[in-house]
Amino acid sequence: MKRVANVFRGPVGTLLFVLIAMSAVMLVAGSSPVDGFYYLFKGALGGPAEIAETLAQTTALLFPSLGICLAFRAGLFNIGAEGQLMLGGLAAGAIGAHFLAPGPLIVFVLLVAGFVGGALWAGLAGWMKARFAANEIISTLMLNFVALNLANYLVSGPLKSPLATGAETAPLPPAAYLPTLIPDTRLTIGLLIALALAGILQFVFSRTVFGFDLRALGEAPEAARRNSVPIKRMTWLAMALSGGVAGLGGAVIVTGELHRFNTSLSPGYGYTAIAVALVGDLHPLWICLAAFVFGILEAGGLAMQASANVPKDAIHMIEGIIIIVLAARRYIATRTETPA
Amino acid sequence: MTLSVILTLLASTLTSAIPIVCAALGGVISERSGIINIGLEGMMTAGAFTAVIADYYTGSPFVGLIAGIVAAAVVGYVLGIAATKFKVDQIVAGIGINVLAYAGAAYGLLLVFDQPGASKQVAGIGGPNVPVFNLSAGTIALGVFSLLCAAGLTWLIYRTPWGLRVQACGENPHAVKSAGLDPLKYRLVAVTISGALAGLGGVFLSIGYLNFYSDQMTAGRGFIALAAVIFGRWNPYGAAGAALFFGFFEALQSVLQGQVSWLPADAMTALPYIAALVALAGVTGKVRAPAADGVPY
Repeated sequence: MKRVANVFRGPVGTLLFVLIAMSAVMLVAGSSPVDGFYYLFKGALGGPAEIAETLAQTTALLFPSLGICLAFRAGLFNIGAEGQLMLGGLAAGAIGAHFLAPGPLIVFVLLVAGFVGGALWAGLAGWMKARFAANEIISTLMLNFVALNLANYLVSGPLKSPLATGAETAPLPPAAYLPTLIPDTRLTIGLLIALALAGILQFVFSRTVFGFDLRALGEAPEAARRNSVPIKRMTWLAMALSGGVAGLGGAVIVTGELHRFNTSLSPGYGYTAIAVALVGDLHPLWICLAAFVFGILEAGGLAMQASANVPKDAIHMIEGIIIIVLAARRYIATRTETPA
Repeated sequence: MTLSVILTLLASTLTSAIPIVCAALGGVISERSGIINIGLEGMMTAGAFTAVIADYYTGSPFVGLIAGIVAAAVVGYVLGIAATKFKVDQIVAGIGINVLAYAGAAYGLLLVFDQPGASKQVAGIGGPNVPVFNLSAGTIALGVFSLLCAAGLTWLIYRTPWGLRVQACGENPHAVKSAGLDPLKYRLVAVTISGALAGLGGVFLSIGYLNFYSDQMTAGRGFIALAAVIFGRWNPYGAAGAALFFGFFEALQSVLQGQVSWLPADAMTALPYIAALVALAGVTGKVRAPAADGVPY
């Protein structure tokens, strides 16, 4: 019985709360929750094309969420996944437009470029933290704004494709396209890369010395210091890896969907990913499930907006509520475990 | 550089800095009590948006001003309750408040004005134009009031028993408890005041200087304010000074735009954020935060 109650307090309980909150928001918007949910799920899971779109959204969210998970586990509040995603995509787009390599090699090179781009951007914040004790919450967020401006400047200036009317880089050669899983959809093997990454992260956290040190840094920094964990090196390394994973996500979007870089790369995946990571309890495998749920919300939200007249912003509002409730859920969980 | 350019820069510094000054003061009182207020950005948003809504329905910018401050104070109170009664992670709750406020305002725009992106124009605080600065009297009055808040907050924190206790809550809440006082109550009140101040900044942004709300118009100023708090060493005058410094870069950006051709516009837009980053790296480590800042009691 107790176990059932614990599950209810976990992600499932949160989900139930979310459904209730969503119904309330739909009622405020003046449409019935029955209609709202019908169109939401029909739009997200109603057929192969819809499911492919939902999984594409899941993929896009999964990379920054896993990146955030890595940093948060190390006690580093990296809220700059949006900028790191952008920089990763920019690196892949910039190199892909000018670099010719045979076949599958080029895709691999572009994905690595995305990882490096994101890692450098987040590593900067990590280095500032390690070297100057600069608060990473503020620095990563400031870097988001700088990243957007930098990307805007580059795609409308030096990297602008002479053939394009809008601000974007030159298109990638077809050899650099990430293979699709279902033809004529946005679903690519990026999903498999993300799932593999989640497995790797889980392994690193639970089975390696590096993962242990990483968690020690987050959960008991003083103990980590006394056990000679190299705090400074771990700090910038964790930030860089975290940004790298987010940046890889940017490269996956560029090679898989856009086939060029422009700043429409992310409609705020980096921010939504914070909610995804927290809903998934900073646990890579739960995060996969959470990303799927958010993928449903993102993909179905558009259908809901069109058919049931519930604005998509309502869904983002729910995300804010989820984050706050989750923070409180931790408290409820710890309180009931220890006898008062 | 002519006198008129300097005056424009001065006026523009004032208008750019005031929202950051207010939010930074809010950050100071909150962090002095031991609660890191990551939600400043969301509280500014709540203030800016609510002010426009109240102004729209009543036609009175003054009602808008009060409503904006009250709404942001309520958001501050919510963070306070979360951080004291429920002992949640302050940073996570603050992030949640920011997300909720951004989306709530975007949703509200659709519900009230039936249009995304920006509200309809409402009556700004306005007043007669003051010639030298080329700003309205209302804008200047609100600006001066914000700077007076720095003086008021300094008095409150350093000269009143309540303020000294708030400081004690930020340094060592257990000592406050052993003196027979409840640190959680002091923290709750401090975060509520913090929200009200951030709300004032938001109101200035929407109806103090302009006359509408647009999506995400706070544009990270709440976070720049957090940097200003650190840069200003958790001291009201210091934080206000740092906020003026960041405001100057924002003003510089808008004055230089179109005047200097070799520097791309995007680089100028990024200027205030880069200034905050450099300041953050240059000053932290050399200053000391309140000992119990961010530590739940």
